[in-house]
Amino acid sequence: MIAWTTRAGLVGLSTVVIVTAAARFIAPHDPARQFPDLAFAPPMLPRVLDDSGQLHRPFIYPLRVVDRLEHRFGQDRSRPVPLEWFTQGRLVTTSEDGPWLLLGADALGRDVFARMLRGAQMSLGVSVVAAALALILGAVIGSVAGFVGGKCDAALMRVADFVLVLPIIYVVIVLRATMPLVLSATEVFWTMTVILGVAGWPFPARGVRAVIALERKKEYAEAAHAMGAGWLRILLRHLLPAARGFLTVQGTLLLPMFILAEATLSYVGFGFAEPTPSWGVMLHEAAEAGILSEAPWLLAPAAGIVMSVLCLHLVSTGVTAASETRAVNT
Amino acid sequence: MRNGFRRYFFRRVGFALLLIFAVSSASLLLARLAPSDDVFAADRVILAAERHRLGLDKPLFEQYMDWLGRSLRFDFGESLRFRRPVAALIRERAGRTALLGFSALALATLVGIPLGVLTGSRPGGVLTSAVRLASIAVLSLPSLVTSLVLLLIAARTGWFPAGGLPSVSADAGTLESILTVGRYLFLPTLALALPMAAALERLQSRAIRESLTEPCIVAAFARGVPRQRVVWRHAFRLALKTVLAIYGIMIGTALSGSFVVEIVMAWRGLGDLMYQALQSRDLYLVAGCAAAGSCGLAFGILLSDLALAAVDPRVEDVV
Amino acid sequence: MAGKLSKSLVIGAIVAAIALATYFARRPSTTGTATTPSSDGRVGAAVRGGELVASLRAEPTTHNRYVDYSAPGEVLALLTHATLARVNRTNDTLEPWLAESWTESPDHLTYTLKLRQGVLFSDGTPFTSADVAFSFRVLYDPRIKSPLATDTLVNGKPLLVEAPDPATVIVRLPSLFAPGLRLVDGVPILPRHRLERAFTEGKFNEAWSATTPVNEIAGLGPFVLTEHTSGERLVVTRNPHYWRKDAAGVALPYLDKLTVVFASQASEALKLQAGEIDLMTNADIRSDDYAAFKRAADQGRVRLIDGGLALDPNLLWFNLTPAHAKAPASRLFQQKVFRQALSCVVDRQAIVNTVYLGAAVPIYGPVTPANRTWFADVRPACEHDLARARELFAAAGLSDRNGDGILDDAAGKQARFSILTQAETIRARVVAVVQEQLRQAGIVVDIVPLDQGALFARFAKGDFDAIYYGIQSSAIDPALSPGFWLSSGDYHFWNRNQKSPATDWERRIDDLMRQQAETFNLEERRRLFTEVQRIFVEEMPAIYFVTPKVTLAVSARVVNPQPAPQIPQLLWSADSLAARH
Repeated sequence: MIAWTTRAGLVGLSTVVIVTAAARFIAPHDPARQFPDLAFAPPMLPRVLDDSGQLHRPFIYPLRVVDRLEHRFGQDRSRPVPLEWFTQGRLVTTSEDGPWLLLGADALGRDVFARMLRGAQMSLGVSVVAAALALILGAVIGSVAGFVGGKCDAALMRVADFVLVLPIIYVVIVLRATMPLVLSATEVFWTMTVILGVAGWPFPARGVRAVIALERKKEYAEAAHAMGAGWLRILLRHLLPAARGFLTVQGTLLLPMFILAEATLSYVGFGFAEPTPSWGVMLHEAAEAGILSEAPWLLAPAAGIVMSVLCLHLVSTGVTAASETRAVNT
Repeated sequence: MRNGFRRYFFRRVGFALLLIFAVSSASLLLARLAPSDDVFAADRVILAAERHRLGLDKPLFEQYMDWLGRSLRFDFGESLRFRRPVAALIRERAGRTALLGFSALALATLVGIPLGVLTGSRPGGVLTSAVRLASIAVLSLPSLVTSLVLLLIAARTGWFPAGGLPSVSADAGTLESILTVGRYLFLPTLALALPMAAALERLQSRAIRESLTEPCIVAAFARGVPRQRVVWRHAFRLALKTVLAIYGIMIGTALSGSFVVEIVMAWRGLGDLMYQALQSRDLYLVAGCAAAGSCGLAFGILLSDLALAAVDPRVEDVV
Repeated sequence: MAGKLSKSLVIGAIVAAIALATYFARRPSTTGTATTPSSDGRVGAAVRGGELVASLRAEPTTHNRYVDYSAPGEVLALLTHATLARVNRTNDTLEPWLAESWTESPDHLTYTLKLRQGVLFSDGTPFTSADVAFSFRVLYDPRIKSPLATDTLVNGKPLLVEAPDPATVIVRLPSLFAPGLRLVDGVPILPRHRLERAFTEGKFNEAWSATTPVNEIAGLGPFVLTEHTSGERLVVTRNPHYWRKDAAGVALPYLDKLTVVFASQASEALKLQAGEIDLMTNADIRSDDYAAFKRAADQGRVRLIDGGLALDPNLLWFNLTPAHAKAPASRLFQQKVFRQALSCVVDRQAIVNTVYLGAAVPIYGPVTPANRTWFADVRPACEHDLARARELFAAAGLSDRNGDGILDDAAGKQARFSILTQAETIRARVVAVVQEQLRQAGIVVDIVPLDQGALFARFAKGDFDAIYYGIQSSAIDPALSPGFWLSSGDYHFWNRNQKSPATDWERRIDDLMRQQAETFNLEERRRLFTEVQRIFVEEMPAIYFVTPKVTLAVSARVVNPQPAPQIPQLLWSADSLAARH
């Protein structure tokens, strides 16, 4: 009964969640490990056939640098390095002298794939929690504004405008100055989440408020009230669900926005410090002019963002569609 | 209704002005609180003298009152970094940002809205799924990535200049000037417009789909009104409200400058100026940029609220 | 029907977009110049005529060099003004410039300069010694507080400049100073007839501002400023009265016109590769961009020039001020052995290979091999020797007492300190590599990336453990950088502006620097300065890691570049730049 798109989305989403949670297990190498002489190494795909056409267990030819400045690497075909499964506490890894760089290496010779997985924990974590916070705050404030109307509504919407228009960067810089110099990754995570959530609530709030304000005047709402239902119940059971569609779209808009906002924050000095990777920081590193044409694999996190958002969207539309059919059928 | 609308209009304009004032004041205060020092500047003494001349070293309250008074006379002070009046700098940059913003908006609207109506009115089908997938993909790409990829294409193919402002020589004809500007404008516009178009498409699609379930629409079908007219004349009107709410914000964001696109594409507009002002803690410029940016956003919000009120008269008594 | 309309609208829009795109799809025409590679790659001979386009990262905010110490101000001054004598940056010798010749008194305190005859300003007015006397009067005037003055003082006292007759200038130094007449290299000579009125009226600082009409500005340099469009570019054209001629007697400058566009660092490189500009003011390319430039060079569009090594490396300095001594981490790095141990752990070659892709060399002190005259290859006792480092750490009271891989002090506290750096730059990458190397040796480093303003603020307040940063000094002779070497100096990063030297070794360096500034025998000066470098490397208040190799990139159209180690590497000698025909 569930559409195939929703099913695909669910599969994708669960993959993302599992892979993110199990990042340390799945990543072939430590994300902070800087492999000497492999800066900007290109992606390495595992092989099963060697040069003479014989079948082997999956292996790779290690890369050796030919010219550092020109980013030229050569495969060392004389010593194939086999992929080792379920050793060293990892799903798959290789031995010391032949790192398997599935998505290549970054400017410091670190495994982009491992960084991407670890970065997913930070970025997706911050973005999802911040988006949830923004949606909840926005829904609450928007509902109150739309429901109560009048001066309260005006005041809340003006506050929303102010938060929307104020350049958050300035706030962040001042905030950073008041915080201690060294921040742990957890401190950064939660502060960032709160900042983004508080900066983001006006987006959903405006839409929710518009929806609630109009739904409130509809006949069914009045009818429910006439039958004796309390306003809170009406709000939660009838009015708010009308905004569900809007909220889900907002969520998928906020997620990539927050991922990038997280990078912008580190640009102005409020971010995850080395060696903690995050997708936003990785994209910013890729943004340095000139590197991109040489090392396009540095954009891998963008693919991660696209996939996460796509799956989220497919699932959310599927869920909304399912609940709509249910509503129609009742 | 006319009278009510006019009252609504004036009230909203008043609030918009208040908003601009509040945001610029807050920015001035924040920029003042942000730590900075020109410890490595060899001309510290001259800088200190300049600061004094511009009134930047006065106590907070006095400086704020002074700035407020001058702003009301449209004198926004002088930029410490550029040594030019803030108003002139902003006028120059805001023009460029506006050009970019409006082009992007136009492109996004032309592409996004019709596509959204299309996909919203035909839930199944290959075209709809394809457009939907494309929209999500574009939406989830941060504008940083989009700008970079476009820049990469420009650098590799040489079809378009790799960022920068158009340099029109003084003796070029009108058509040639327009074409030169167009060539430089195209990529930044695309970078800005793609995510907007995708967002509009998604929102419009959902809004149409929802409005198609409204009783009045179902009734129109039952009456035998041709499908296209139902979709475009009636459902579209109904769907407008959610889209308009966001459209205004989009206008506002476009006008106030996307600093990512401007920096990557070296389109030196308002967003870029705000970033530079921030870097050098150039107080008056920061306040001026915040004011200009908030002008754009406030205008956008105002527009969307007014449009909402015009479309649906029930909204106007919700202030 | 409306749906069909919308569909056709969309299709029509797409078609129109494609049509427009194909119309626009032409290569951007560069300023009407040929970019065909020369068949044999040889640099053509310099011929008069032609134009070049350069890029500059920031805009000068005023045209008055005496109140503008910024980098763009320096470039503008190099293009439009001249000095009495010029330091030839390629070989670090002092050349006659506006002064044709000079004699030095036996006590090295008085220089008598004979000015070149028949020199005119760009507006045709004759140049005399009165202009020189005026310039120096303005320079040292206390009302103006010119930042140029701080570089033109000897032990804090100004030079005395007299003009006994229109063709002679006498320069008296207040005390012995080995660099001697080199001090005048930074003082552009101003036209008295244009600025005297403003000066006497006390309005000199506002003279020649960004809004002054360009035809009021006159100078003795190779070019004249003819346009300054704020936010876009400035244009300088040939000074018809420029006095200099090349060896064959051809009147310089070769170029008719030089356009300087304002572009950010990120877009400069792209513009150069695309052929929109011919050279960058900061002509060196980043190692990240090297591959793209190499491709462009192989296609003959740009030329890569080896610029040697960089003069001013980045450094990691510690907060050795007494005010910060109570901080927990301070107890670690206040100890010399700890700093030496850190330097011993670091694998500089790995930094060279990873961050600079091989285009750098390891260094151990503030003077790099690029400074041929003054560099002494002084090395610390141990290099990349983990065993020795462990011994040094033990001498500092650190060892791994609980087996967690991190060194602890006697009280069990982890060895940990923080390094501030500027976010998102090559510096941040170097610090990331150093952090990882130190982690493997058991030292935990917290990296704090900040934006520039916040970084400077923390530095000024003394609120930091260590900072990794660097500034351009561009002075080759160490006697011209007292701010760094002397304990009382402003750029003595680890402990600025000391009233009297806080440590013995700083006192010793102060004495040695003073001695070498007053000695006139070059060999003796070098011996003294080598001792300074030895003390520095031994005490290590700051750790130096690497200095990058410099590769300059210019378009194929640039002829006769004279690369210098300091920025601007090519525009310092703009009069000898030419364009290919």
